Amino acid sequence: MRVATVTLNPAVDRQLIVPNFEVNQLHRLTGPESSAMTPGGKGINVAMLLDVLGISVVAMSILAGYTGRILEEELRRLHPRITTNFVYTSGETRENIAIVDPIKDTITEINSSGPKVDEKTMDVFLKRYIMTLSRVNTVVISGSVPPGVSAGYCMDLVRRAKQQKKTVIVEGIGRFFEEVVRNDCPHVVRPDLRRTQTVFDRSLETLEDYVELAKEFIRLGAEAAVISYQVVSDIVATKEGVWVFTSKEKVEKSHLFGTGDAFVAGIVYGIDRGLSYYEALKYGMAAAIAETKYVEKSALSISEIEKYLDAFEVRSAV
Amino acid sequence: MKVKDVLIRDISAVFEDETVEDFVRICSMQSFSGLPVVDENMVVVGYISENDVINAAVPSYFSLLQSVSFLPDTHQLVQRLQKIKEHTVSQYMRTPAVTVKEEDSLIHVADLIIRRRLKVVPVVDDQGRLVGIVTRMGVLKGAMEKGG
Repeated sequence: MRVATVTLNPAVDRQLIVPNFEVNQLHRLTGPESSAMTPGGKGINVAMLLDVLGISVVAMSILAGYTGRILEEELRRLHPRITTNFVYTSGETRENIAIVDPIKDTITEINSSGPKVDEKTMDVFLKRYIMTLSRVNTVVISGSVPPGVSAGYCMDLVRRAKQQKKTVIVEGIGRFFEEVVRNDCPHVVRPDLRRTQTVFDRSLETLEDYVELAKEFIRLGAEAAVISYQVVSDIVATKEGVWVFTSKEKVEKSHLFGTGDAFVAGIVYGIDRGLSYYEALKYGMAAAIAETKYVEKSALSISEIEKYLDAFEVRSAV
Repeated sequence: MKVKDVLIRDISAVFEDETVEDFVRICSMQSFSGLPVVDENMVVVGYISENDVINAAVPSYFSLLQSVSFLPDTHQLVQRLQKIKEHTVSQYMRTPAVTVKEEDSLIHVADLIIRRRLKVVPVVDDQGRLVGIVTRMGVLKGAMEKGG
């Protein structure tokens, strides 16, 4: 096991492909290919992508109830090489519904909040997390945080991994993400801007706002930062500079599903190969572009990522 | 066929210092019949099953009786479980744990399952660290699919 992914609030993802989707209308799915039910949550998605890229990974999560069992069984069926270390709590793991309309080029997402996690479960999870740290080089902590879990708990996960000299990558949003970054900044950070473009109480509007935020992450101690900018670009930063990566490929909005997770998986792949953070960021961008070629999740390959290493423009943003 | 062909890469386990109550809670939530017991380095040091806990909770003289159906229900099982639930798993686990490695043959695991009446066999690496489990159904399914 070289990488551990931590998904505190995993989900069963239900993706429905509905051409010409409209609210208040009855839609019938045309066949089984129009509906997919897959294990999800950002960390689980990254684990599945890393598995297809040939990196041995242990997926750690807090699951609950019947939906949690479905997630576990589906993950095992689809990715038997992924090692699992799950802890269960009361309630039900959440379901995330995404309605993809390839005609209107839209994605409509409905995400539930997840089960309330009690203190006992958090203790049990932490103990297993500490044990797992001794066996991996990189830790990816990604996605939302379920009710009951405190910002302090998330900070503890990051702190313990850093103390053991692991490379830590965090993707998230909101107060917890900001507190983690301010308190003990992970090596790589990526805010999830799908629902809000506000970070550190600053609204991101212009390119300069994004560049300033990237610099702020580096000032706080990050080795690398990625911020999604408009649909086809990403602002990336390391201690050496800030750049704008812009895809030369046409990107369908309905194919954006999972591209953020692909970006993170590409970075992990680069780091795992011993590349510099800047080069790893390029692998992230290439993986994200490669992922836009598919509607479904986890369809990447190394050759495809490498095919897209030149599929984006790089310009300095400083 | 080898163990790695039917290996379930799940490293769910309990620690030696966790309690019987923790063990029962984890097993009931995840529908396990037992769990490998590991140390802080994930080395398998034992195995504890629901049978081990029930055996510990049933009064020892019961084994001398042909039937306990004539005894009035004195809640002895309940009382003893209350007593031992705070005890550590290490007090009731079986040691050393029966383990196999990924390169072991399937017939070797099948033999262990029959001789030792095991439902689950932990799979370890060369350092004795847990890498997953093999189940009875996994052995059957693996052998059947290979034959097909």
